[in-house]
Amino acid sequence: MRTVTKKLLQAFTVLVLASIFIGLGIWQLQRAQEMDDQKKVLVDTTIYPLAQKATPTGTIPPESIAKLVTAEGHYIATYKAPNQKDGSGKVADWEVALLEKDGENAILVVRGLWADRLTNPEIVMSKQISLTGTLMPKQNDDRAANTSSQLSRLDSSILVSSYPGQLYDGFILATNEVVDGQKVERARISAPELTSGVPGYYWQHISYVVVWWFMALLVLWAPFYRRKD
Amino acid sequence: MAKTGNSALLRFRVMAILCGVNLLLLILGYMPAKYLFDALDNNGWLIAIPIAHGYLYIVYILTALQIGVQKKMSLFSILGLTLAGTLPVASFIAERRMVKKYS
Repeated sequence: MRTVTKKLLQAFTVLVLASIFIGLGIWQLQRAQEMDDQKKVLVDTTIYPLAQKATPTGTIPPESIAKLVTAEGHYIATYKAPNQKDGSGKVADWEVALLEKDGENAILVVRGLWADRLTNPEIVMSKQISLTGTLMPKQNDDRAANTSSQLSRLDSSILVSSYPGQLYDGFILATNEVVDGQKVERARISAPELTSGVPGYYWQHISYVVVWWFMALLVLWAPFYRRKD
Repeated sequence: MAKTGNSALLRFRVMAILCGVNLLLLILGYMPAKYLFDALDNNGWLIAIPIAHGYLYIVYILTALQIGVQKKMSLFSILGLTLAGTLPVASFIAERRMVKKYS
């Protein structure tokens, strides 16, 4: 009876461990698939309303990243975002505004270069802005110090204590702004590469898939191993 | 038979050294480049290090299994040999111990 219990316990442990390893492999496979999907979304040129692609209460879904979106509202604050790298690899300081929508939620908008910030004096807080741009995920690494007028990275969580409403995760890289029916003329920032420009992450995840599933096979093989003298 | 055993040992030694060097590169090169210096954007080739580690480790496990089964090691010892490939320097220690014991 004791032997049977021991065997059952052993079988249960093996199955649990193998399931965990297979699950970890599937998780890595999904991450590899997400990496692959990120390349595909760039070809979508449809313009969506922001509310259709993101909500102010959650993170931006992976399938919404790099989509073209439109939003309307008022700029309620402007910040400098130093040492930002654009799609061509050029590092510069960017002008970032906080666009308030419906008076209760807001999203960060990259308007252009910080050096060009004085070229559009017609845009004041009372003006309604209608903009189009690329929806980008939040940044995780600091590029500079964080102050009241400067953002260390493009991440709305930095502003949580200074804005009473809900903040969208991520930001919009503006490609077009319209004020009073007039298009705002200024140089725009090209979208930075989303996968940090490093090829091969897909194969890194695939290698982990192989490792985890191989571990599962090992666990399943272990009970049959006998030392023979 | 002895020749086969030595071949298995040689294969294990090669993989232990390769895995050990690769793991040191991963910890002393790739990790600081990615997390401390944010240097992967300009040094894309560094991504080859973790990818190589993934695949080398599988081959390392196979060689560890082969030598473990051939030398009739306990399951616990084989497990230890397998895990040595995931810890920095441990695969070098495992390689030295195996050489001392079986060559």
